[in-house]
Order: sequence, then C-alpha cells, then structure tokens
Amino acid sequence: MATPLIVLLYASIAALSAIPGGLVRWSTEPGRDRWLGWAHALAAGGMLGAAFVLTGVSDATAVAGAIGAVLGVGFIVATHSVTRLETLDLSRPDRKDPTAAPRLMALHALHACTEGVAIGVAMAVDLSLGVFMAIAIAVHNVPEAALLSGATREQGAGRAGTVGKVVLSNVGQPALAVVTWFVVATVPASLPWVLGFAVGALLNLVMTELLPASYREAGSTSIALVASVALALVVLLGGILP
Amino acid sequence: MRDVTLVFAYGLITALATGLGALPFLLVRTVSGRMVGRLNAVASGLMLGASFGLLAEGTRFGGWQTFSGGLLGVLFILVTNRYLREHHAHPGGPAGKEDGLRRMVLIVTVMTVHSLAEGVAIGASFGGGMVLATFITVAIAVHNIPEGVAISAVLRSNGVSVPRCAGWSIVSSLPQPVMAVPAFLFVEAFAPALPYGIGFAAGAMVFMVLLEILPEAYGKGSAREIGTITTLSMIAMMLFQKLVAG
Repeated sequence: MATPLIVLLYASIAALSAIPGGLVRWSTEPGRDRWLGWAHALAAGGMLGAAFVLTGVSDATAVAGAIGAVLGVGFIVATHSVTRLETLDLSRPDRKDPTAAPRLMALHALHACTEGVAIGVAMAVDLSLGVFMAIAIAVHNVPEAALLSGATREQGAGRAGTVGKVVLSNVGQPALAVVTWFVVATVPASLPWVLGFAVGALLNLVMTELLPASYREAGSTSIALVASVALALVVLLGGILP
Repeated sequence: MRDVTLVFAYGLITALATGLGALPFLLVRTVSGRMVGRLNAVASGLMLGASFGLLAEGTRFGGWQTFSGGLLGVLFILVTNRYLREHHAHPGGPAGKEDGLRRMVLIVTVMTVHSLAEGVAIGASFGGGMVLATFITVAIAVHNIPEGVAISAVLRSNGVSVPRCAGWSIVSSLPQPVMAVPAFLFVEAFAPALPYGIGFAAGAMVFMVLLEILPEAYGKGSAREIGTITTLSMIAMMLFQKLVAG
C-alpha cells in the first residue's frame, strides 16, 4: 500500500533524475540534430509504453476510461491553445524570440504535471505499478532535461541556473502525483476516469509534440526503431510486474 | 469434416467483414492533400490501438515471447521496406507516387501478416465449444471493420477506388479462414506459437505506423491536428476492442 510519503518520495526521485540531464551541455547546433531526434523518440516510446501499462489496469470500466482519455486529450489541446505552445518547436526554439525559453519551460512544466498524474494514479492502483511508473518517467526525464538545458544554456544561463530551472520545471511531478493519489484514494470510483485521463494526456503529448519533433530532426527509420524498441522494453518490463 | 467446413466458413465471415471498412469512404468524394493527412492519422491511430490490444493479449500468454515476436516484426518491416525501396523504385518517375505505392504494399502486407495471428485465434477458440467460437468469430468480425477502415484510408488517399479498397481489405483478412483450420485441427501445436505471432503482428504494425504512415501524415497538416486525430482514433479503437471483447 502506497502512502503519501512514498508517493512523494518516488515522484521526487523521478523529478530529480532530471539533474544529470541538466548538467549536459546539449548543443542545438546543426550536426547534433539526430541525437535530439533520438532523445525525443526514446521519450515518446517510453511514454507510449507507460500509457499501455496504464490501459491494462482496469477492464470493466472501458467507457469511463475512454471519456477520461478524451478529457485528457482535451486538457493538452486546451493548454496548448492558451499558452500558444503548439507553435513552439520543442527542439530548436527561435533564438531571437525572448519568450521562447520561458515558453519552453512552461511546456516542460506541463509535461511534468501530466507525468505526475500518471505516477499518482499508478501509485493508487498498486505500489509496484507506481514505482515502475516513477522509474520509467525518471529514465525519460534525463533526455528531456538535456534538451531543455541545451536551449536554456543557449539563452545565456549558467550551469547552476540551468539545473535549477530544469528541476523547477519538474516540480509539478511530485505535486500532481500526491494530489492525484489523494483524489483516487479518497474517491475510489474516480480511478477509471483518472486512469483514462492520464492515458489520453500522455498519448496526446507523444502524438502532438514528441513524435513530430523527433521526425524533424532525424530520418523516420531511426526514429521508428528507437521509439518502438523503447515501447517494447517498457511493455516487457510492465508485464513482469506482479 | 463438417467441423472443418464450419471453422473455414466462420473465418471467411470475419474476412468479408473487413471489406465493410471501405464503406465510409463512399461518403468521401474527393481526397485533398489535407484529407490525406487526416486519413493517415486515423489509420495510424486505429492501428496503434489495435497493436495495444494485441500486446495486451500477447503478454497474457508470455511477455518474453511477445517481446521477441515484436522485435522480429520490426525486423520484418525493416527488410520488406528496404526491399520495396530497392526493387520498385523507378528513377525519373513521380516520387510521391512511388512512396504512395510502397505505403499501400506495406499496409496490405502488414495487415495480411497480422490476420495470420487472428486466424489462429479463431481456430484455437473452437476448442472451447460452439458458443465461445461463435462469440469470438463475431468479435473478430466486428473488430476487423476498423482495420478495413485503416487499410482503406491509406489506399483511398492514394486514389484507389472504393470497391478496390473493399477488395484489398478482404484480401488482407483471407489468412484468417486459411489459418483457422490448421489451428483448429492442431491446437496443441499452435498454442505455444501464439504469443510470438501476436507479438510479431503488433511489432510490425507499430513499426510500420512509425516508419511510414505517421511521418506522411505529419507532412500534410499541423502536428497538433494530426497528433490529436491520431490519439482520438487510438482511444476509439481501444474502447471498441474492450467493448467487443465484453
């Protein structure tokens, strides 16, 4: 049985795993494009896998799950519209645009919140599923942080400042994980809805941001390979869970 | 003998049902560039949703078997795609048309391979008695319709006529009756191979979507529009499968 402290602990570990990524000085210069693409593809495959593992949790409440998923999609679409983030290129923000770096931060914060919901709902289902989800998201946070740090350093921030910003952008992860866990623990009937919401939001992040960004940076063969192998590994590991 | 005919007939019904997937395209008169993107997005979502269903089924039998089958499926598409690029490229021909043709061959191949696994599932289900078999046949027949939609979406956006879309959809499902019979007769021999086959089908489908169908779709619309259509189609397919499976 997960407790709020355990949820907080694992979600924080996931958030802090961004630090090594933040220390990397990731060049957004041409020539490094493919690595950017592969990092995004890795994150996309991992997120698809996480969404798959969550869909396997409850079978009896398919309709509630689907409605929750559509709400999750709607949430991402709405936040994109409000923040005008859909016009932002995830891997190479416009250097002349002073709002690009803060908007990229906001975009990462939005990802972190969505991932926090996924960790929280997984924790509410089962401790081992929750720990699994936290680890999967921790791994996926490393390349994500490296991408953000590249863009932030380019805007003139120092190493400490960059790591600070990267960690700050992940604060939503433990916060939303605890809130989500608390909601599901208090109102168990909300589980299929929240599960669906997490799945829909994760899938839509993959389809509207991570995958399109990765195809812009590298050939579709390598992107498809990295993403499908990442998905397969997460599905395999998710299947080993008790 | 009568049983074998029945198994084949049931398999054939599910194959014919796939052709129904072409019917919605009677309503779509002209196919503009934007529509091509959207249709490919719908096809991607339906196939990713179907793969999630396959993965759920396969991992119930065995995670490692499904995983290794999946990797083989990826390899299969990689090799097939390379072969199609090398042997069917006519220098000087219109590049877009070549790509479209390759995509059409790929999707029909992938869906045909994937019906091999479904055929085995139909045949194996007859071991559980007529009621179960009828139920599973109806379920697979219904579930074939959106797969027909996915195939027709790719074919139709390349200018193939609706009756031909229906024809190719049915062809892609013909392995179902063919495979159902041996699977029914030799259930013990086929059962251990099932997770590998299911994994193979899922891996091939996911990889083909990521390799060919999605990049094509993103090239024809905004990432937000294409991505959201893909996600919603995927959710619809997963819901549909769960409802059909009861």
